[in-house]
Parts: sequence; structure tokens; C-alpha cells
Amino acid sequence: MQDIELQQLWKSYDQKLQEQLVFNRQNASDITKMKVKSELTAMRPIKLFTVLAGILWILFLDILVINLFPVGNAYFLISAGFISLVNKIAVGIYLYQLVLISVVNINAPVMSTQKKIAGLVTSTLWVTRILMLQLPFWTTFFLSSAWIGSANPLFWIIQVSITVAFAGASIWLFINIRYENRDKRWFKFLFGSYEWTPIMKAQEMLVQIKDYEEETL
Amino acid sequence: MSREKEYFLSCIESNKGIIYKVANSYCKDDADREDLLQEIILQLWKAFPSFKPDYKLSTWMYRIALNVAISSYRKASKRSKILQPLCETAIYLDDDTSEVNDNRDMLQVLIRELKEVDRALILLYLDGYLYPEIGNVLGLSESNVATKLSRIKQQLKKKFTA
Repeated sequence: MQDIELQQLWKSYDQKLQEQLVFNRQNASDITKMKVKSELTAMRPIKLFTVLAGILWILFLDILVINLFPVGNAYFLISAGFISLVNKIAVGIYLYQLVLISVVNINAPVMSTQKKIAGLVTSTLWVTRILMLQLPFWTTFFLSSAWIGSANPLFWIIQVSITVAFAGASIWLFINIRYENRDKRWFKFLFGSYEWTPIMKAQEMLVQIKDYEEETL
Repeated sequence: MSREKEYFLSCIESNKGIIYKVANSYCKDDADREDLLQEIILQLWKAFPSFKPDYKLSTWMYRIALNVAISSYRKASKRSKILQPLCETAIYLDDDTSEVNDNRDMLQVLIRELKEVDRALILLYLDGYLYPEIGNVLGLSESNVATKLSRIKQQLKKKFTA
């Protein structure tokens, strides 16, 4: 098949459209009256809510840490402080996403617009990875020196096993929650739900864009 | 109806083929296509005040239509949640069953199988846009357009003869 044949086929399709395509002016006018609620703007309220909830949670943790600092035990202060830090980073990424939402320009060239949108969507994967790092600290915040001092061997076996397991899982998830592992069974189990599909597709888009960018080098 | 809206609707009417071709290339399912058509028209209307008359209207429309179509990552079932209740179809084929052309239909299928950006590239090429125009819509250099297009055409031809 030659180029010209491809073009002729397309022209024949174009011809068919010219003959059969109908434009309903009233319906098109009705569409323009609809409230604009694109994919991006639909994301904004969810992100805003998450940022606000995150800020309240961080404030609560920080107030606890500050007020309990003189009297609180080190286990609680370190655990709560680290959980707060991880959540601050996550909220920071959500704020970055909100900024990106406001600067995405649908009028701009396709590659640059798609790169921004895909980057915005895939940064959610980063938030998930970072939030995993707080897991082990949820197993230590309630400990105290007095409790540990009087603990029996069974307590130590259980406590250390749980904390080590959570620490290992959090580091492993932080390293392995990435697009390259999308076909692994555990990944599909964790992120196989409907909500994660756009993130995986956005990542595919970034791969396509990278492919085009490498072509120019 | 305002003069601006009248003008906008005339622009859409004279370029309805672009909107339909983009929607049809990115959505196989009828309901998805209708939703995408609706969203493209809506986004064009939203962006219309920023349209500069010194810019070619069809190129501007292609850019927005492709941006909307490619970024439609969501599944069909989610679309209806994002958009408000569907308006009646604004652009549609009067009689889609009147004529069957195997090769033409095959070309549609093969284009839909391409990656999103490749699909945009071949659509613009088949619609007769020059390399600088394609580069302008997509944000690519002319040489990049030429190289990629050559590969996509080879890919299409190979599949056609397979």
C-alpha cells in the first residue's frame, strides 16, 4: 500500500462525513450553556478537600507534639513528628497539583499540555509512596519508657516483629510502587481498582512523550 | 443568542468534521463518542474568547479537540458523572449504515489501535496538514514529525497488508 492510497481512503471517509454529518445548532447551543466541569476542574474540589483535611491533621499532630514536648515521651514525640513530616510532604505535593491544575492550558500545543496533565495525575503515585513511609511509626507512637522497662519477652517479640514488618513493608512499598511494576500481581491487587486507571494511563502517556522527546535529541 | 455565540456555532458547523474525526478516532463506543463530542464543544466554547483571528481556526480547533480527547483518561462510566446530564447530540452521522467500505473502516480501526500521540499525528497528516502545521499543533519539530510519521505510516501499511 502506498501513501497515496492511505490518503485516498481518508478522503473517501472525509467525503462520507461531508455528505452525512449533521450539525444540530440548538443542541450545540445547549452544550455551551452547560457549566464547564472538565476532568481537571472536577479534580480541584477533591484536591482542595484533601489539602484542607491534611492541614487540619498536621496542625493537630503538631499541636500535640509541641504541647507534649516538655512532658511527652520520646516514642510518641518522634513517631508523631515523623507522621506529621510525611503528611506535610504529601500536602505539599497536593498543593503543587492544585497549582498545576490552574496553569494547564488547553490552547497550548498538545505535547506540553499532555505532559503537564500526565505529570499532575502521576504525582498521585508519589504521594502514595511517601505516605507509606509513615507505616512503622503507627506501631511505636503509643510506647513509653515505663512500659518498655517492665515489658516481658513476649511483648518484645510481638512489638519488634510488628514494627520490623511494618518498616520493611513501608520501605519495600516506597521503592516498588512504580509504573514499571504495573503488571505484577501485588500491584494489580493494590492499585487495580477503577480509581487508579487514570494514573496508569497518564504514566503511559509520559512514556509516549518521553519517546517523542528522545527522538529530537 | 449573542453575536459571539452565533459566530462560535458557525465556526463549529463549518469545522464539524474535525470534531467528529477526533472523537471517532479516540472513542469506539457510541456513547463515549457522544460524551467526547460534547466535551470538545464545551471546551472550545470556553476557550473561544482566547482564539486569535490571526490563527488558523481549524488548527486551533484541532489543538483543543486533541488535547481534550487525549486527556480523556477516564472510563465511559465515569464520564456521565463528570458531565451534567447529556444534551442531545450536536454532531452525528445521518445514516451510518448506508455504505460499507471495508478498507475505509479498516483504516479507522487501525488508527484507533495507535498510541494516542501517534493517532493525533496521523490524523493531522491524513487531513492534509503540512509538517510545520502539525508541529505547531502538537508542539514538535518538523524533523520529529517527519521521522515519527514515516514510522507510523509504515506501521499502518504493514497492518493493512497483513
